[in-house]
Amino acid sequence: MLLHLLNRSPQSPSVYRDLGEAFGAGDHLLLIEDACYAALPPSSAVLEPFAGRVSVLREDLISRGLAERVSPDIAVVDMNGFLALTETHERCVSWF
Amino acid sequence: MLNYALLVHAAPYSHQAALSALRFAETVVAGGHRLKTVFFYHDGVHNASALMAPPQDEVHLADGWKRLHDEHGAELLVCVAAGLRRGLLDAGEANRHGSASHSVEPPFELTGVGQLVDAMLTNDRLITFAP
Repeated sequence: MLLHLLNRSPQSPSVYRDLGEAFGAGDHLLLIEDACYAALPPSSAVLEPFAGRVSVLREDLISRGLAERVSPDIAVVDMNGFLALTETHERCVSWF
Repeated sequence: MLNYALLVHAAPYSHQAALSALRFAETVVAGGHRLKTVFFYHDGVHNASALMAPPQDEVHLADGWKRLHDEHGAELLVCVAAGLRRGLLDAGEANRHGSASHSVEPPFELTGVGQLVDAMLTNDRLITFAP
């Protein structure tokens, strides 16, 4: 079980494709920094391969003014939630 | 309690990643875990600049890292090869290269990538923050 950290906006679709190929059963995806934009309803098609296993970082949503605009099927976590995900996943892979 | 190592590839103030790394590091120690190592690599070595002087109303990244060393014992390791290329030298390296001044001071330590491998092998978690 891997935790995948992604910080690229959906304007970089190739990293989402590469991640989709590497994403295993039981893995989880956390969107941080500019990847927050993928959590908005118009963009969240890029997240279809990860459906139900995606979280987005609240602090980075707030700093971009996006906190109220997240797709309802994406979990919003704060920094403590980020830490908790690293506790429960033995390894963490960063995509950038 | 878990032992954490962070790998920081991002230059300060150029990308969000260096700030993300510092914020995560502070969450690690606040959460009762041990932050054992922060390894600065590639442009991330600029986080170790002793000459960093951001405006007073902005986050001072180097001071943030130093606080994690002083209060929580985190070792702050800087890749020596990446640092030398970018003008990040401690007093010893400055002397060795005939430079009149230096830009890295303790608690930041110039070190080799062997220390990164060691951090990967000896900590429970390694989290990478890159631009």
